[in-house]
Amino acid sequence: MAEAIHKKLQSELEKYQQMQKDVSKSMTSRQKLEAQLTENNIVKEELALLDSQNTVYKLIGPVLVKQDLDEAKATVSKRLEYINGEIQRYETLLKELERKSEQHREVLSSLQQEYQRAQGQAVGKV
Amino acid sequence: MCVSDTLQKMHVHIYRQCISVIITVNYSCIVARKQSLFQHMLSTLPKCIEQAKAYSTVVTVGSLHAVKLLYVKVVKDCRSQFEHWKKVENDYESLQERLRTLPDKLSYDIMVPFGPLAFMPGKLVHTNELTVLLGDNWFAKCSAKQADALVEHRKKHVKNTLDDLQKVMKNFQNRADFTDDLEKLTGDTGDFVDIREEVINEEEVTKAKHRLAHKANSKPKQEYLLDLEEDKEKKEGDEEGTTGVLSEEELWARLDELERQEELQDERYRLDSTDTNGEDTTSSSEEEKEADGGSDVQVNGHQKENGWVPTSITSQMNGTNGSHPEDEEEEDCDEEAGNGLPTIYFSHTAEFKKVRINTGKNTTLKFSERNEQKAQAKRKKKSGKSNGHSPHESYKITSPADIYRVFVDLVNGEPIPRKSILKSRSRENSVCSDTSESSTADFEERRAAFGRSWSHDDATHSDTSDGITEEESPTGTSPHTNGCFEAFTSTVIEKDPLPCSIPHLTIAPPALPTIPERKLEEVGPEAPQEPPKWMSKFKATRLHQK
Repeated sequence: MAEAIHKKLQSELEKYQQMQKDVSKSMTSRQKLEAQLTENNIVKEELALLDSQNTVYKLIGPVLVKQDLDEAKATVSKRLEYINGEIQRYETLLKELERKSEQHREVLSSLQQEYQRAQGQAVGKV
Repeated sequence: MCVSDTLQKMHVHIYRQCISVIITVNYSCIVARKQSLFQHMLSTLPKCIEQAKAYSTVVTVGSLHAVKLLYVKVVKDCRSQFEHWKKVENDYESLQERLRTLPDKLSYDIMVPFGPLAFMPGKLVHTNELTVLLGDNWFAKCSAKQADALVEHRKKHVKNTLDDLQKVMKNFQNRADFTDDLEKLTGDTGDFVDIREEVINEEEVTKAKHRLAHKANSKPKQEYLLDLEEDKEKKEGDEEGTTGVLSEEELWARLDELERQEELQDERYRLDSTDTNGEDTTSSSEEEKEADGGSDVQVNGHQKENGWVPTSITSQMNGTNGSHPEDEEEEDCDEEAGNGLPTIYFSHTAEFKKVRINTGKNTTLKFSERNEQKAQAKRKKKSGKSNGHSPHESYKITSPADIYRVFVDLVNGEPIPRKSILKSRSRENSVCSDTSESSTADFEERRAAFGRSWSHDDATHSDTSDGITEEESPTGTSPHTNGCFEAFTSTVIEKDPLPCSIPHLTIAPPALPTIPERKLEEVGPEAPQEPPKWMSKFKATRLHQK
């Protein structure tokens, strides 16, 4: 009896750890997105400081490609929107993962208690 | 479980805060093309988060230490980031300098770096044309001035980041300090002291109450503490009614006795300095009646003398000068053990008895005393369970005596009743027989003893009011301070010129100096000094006059 519980406990524990890893992964990617968000914001602001007389280039691979200022502004805005959307997606994902890990934690704790009880009983029996 | 969850969430939140900060850092890293630093920063964060989670699972409710460690870690991280951002700012500053001087010449002769190890002489041309990295793989060709503007714009961002970092750092530093303090508090270490004011238990309250209720020199503190108990538990009226009824006759009888004694005391007091002992004993006996059932008479007496200290607040720890009424409570307080923290037991002294206004006959005093007690109790009730301290704004005036009690001046920290505006000043320094001897005595004492306890007064109601004034005196009377000496230059020495010439507590030689002068001198010496001097002076005066 205790053995079975123990095994279950182990499996649950592993699942929980996996979940935690997922959570941290999504957390990392979300951080990256946050960084990109701030960056693009600054680019947008700085583009606003320029006038059409300056040429704007985009680094694509090893090549600096000339871009129109307005085009650049539009591109940057689009990128910003995209990043925001991604962040939202990750947010929801994270929430889901958190919730799931909570559930898992509860299951784990109950299993743990059961296991301890069983162990106690086993000791008592013995 | 939920605690740890919340803790974990908290920690995660903490690190999310840091994340947002770091993200801006990361951006600047990109701008500065320090990708490695950026990556490092990014990588540390998830580790920190996991650590936070680990902490949260490890941390139990009681382990403040781990929480504190976490906070300290955050503070450290913030500090390092702060350093980094400061460097970035400095770099931008120097860049701006360079940008300003660069277009000065058409071309510069420089040593051009070839790879990591070699340089070659060369020329720097097109000094005004710059290709600026805007971020996210965007470049722009601009002039030096335009680049300068861009750099300014970035510096603004850096400043914001720095400010945020500062805030976070301060915040977490405070939290860490707080957990430290919390640890100290719970650990009974450090300078934290628990200050308590104990209220006597109900038994004593009830027992003492009917002793106090109509006492001539009932200790105000006792009274109001008792009343406080009452208020807490029963309706004030009921309490007073029931207990008063039980012992009223006995109390009245006792009261009359006390009054007679007081008059005797006053006589003796005037004549002989040693009478003070007698007074003290009588007063102490009175006080003994009041509530300190177990107190030693002599102890009371001594304390009575010591109790010239006008301070109305003595801490348990310095309890030597405790007022008589405090005795019992102090004892009680002593009995109660501190809960691991050093505890200061706060209790009010009955030192200051409000200067008694000569209301003439004692009959009224009783009544007013009663009224004052009631007022006191009501006040207590209203104030609720403060630490034994009535709010000083309890200017509830239910009887004329209350007025005198409430409106007192504060001269050198001692409450002095204001002189009535109706009383002419011409009466100062003039010998006029005002009223009875008792009133004379009252006047004397009022003059002499600022803020002294008047236990030996025949001021039954002054005693009660003392308690009331006690509460107010430390706090409430301060607004009334006007340092007016004149208000107190009171009265005259009536039939016996001796007493008025005798400053009870002045250092001045006991001649017949003007009263005001003596009073000034009186104010000079602080209360603690007075008792011993007072003794000797009195004697000296008497001898001198004899």
